[in-house]
Amino acid sequence: MALLRWLATARRRLQAALPVARYAVEGASMEPSYRAGERLLVDRRAYRRRPPAVGDVVVLRDPAQPRRHLVKRIAQAPEGVDAGSSRVWVLGDNAAASRDSRAFGAVPRTAIIGRVWFRY
Amino acid sequence: MFRTTLPSLAAGALRALDRLAPPQTAHAHCDIPCGIYDPHYAQIAALTVVRMDQLIEALGELPSGAGKADADKWHNSMTRYVLVKEEHGELCKREVRVIWGDYFKPEHAEKYPELHTLVWNILKLGGKNRQEVNAQAAQDLLAQVQRFAEIFWETKGVATKRQPSNQAVGGELVAPA
Repeated sequence: MALLRWLATARRRLQAALPVARYAVEGASMEPSYRAGERLLVDRRAYRRRPPAVGDVVVLRDPAQPRRHLVKRIAQAPEGVDAGSSRVWVLGDNAAASRDSRAFGAVPRTAIIGRVWFRY
Repeated sequence: MFRTTLPSLAAGALRALDRLAPPQTAHAHCDIPCGIYDPHYAQIAALTVVRMDQLIEALGELPSGAGKADADKWHNSMTRYVLVKEEHGELCKREVRVIWGDYFKPEHAEKYPELHTLVWNILKLGGKNRQEVNAQAAQDLLAQVQRFAEIFWETKGVATKRQPSNQAVGGELVAPA
């Protein structure tokens, strides 16, 4: 058990150190853009180069449950001088089947894990 | 809508990597984060089907030569029992389908290889109980739903016990111990 836990931790640390992360989509809140079961390659360093922009699809930590990761689209983000700071508003593309900023409010930029880069 | 897909060779390589080390999950769910599921409703629905078969049996035949008032009464009761049996047969299927589809994860199915067959049986028996007045089929439905409830609670690490329903129908319900 201790070994398994150590392996899980080691894997998490390795994942956190890599510039890209692999994700599998679960649920229907991003349909029709992304469907359940599709695989996403996420660019973890995207927002070191530029601030989050409206229209970006991102993977973020669930504000209610930080170890759970969500995939949503940015609907509002600060622009101009405020662009580097502050919070973004995220929505699911399939509004009827999405729990998003309408439920948990704007999310801090630090909650964003990365930008969805490619589907594979 | 803007979508980018990797060339197939790179995608193939990543898919291969996924088989070695599974990717993380990006949730795109509509439910609240700790979804609330409970197999209690499915069991109550199955028990209701059992009860309706009992009531239909107890109603007996429409007496030959019954007057209009008696015949109306008999038909009214029969119709109500059949209607409730229809509704609860379907309700049972729906409750089980939701838990199966929304709650259970692939690792649960791996640990309980019987799970998919169990759900399949429940869906079939739900239909059979609507089509027929069949006390045995109703008991079979209840038994399968009880097992489904046990597996559900076990996957949450909760011990269960079978306790008398304490209802006119008799039978047992699976509940957290």
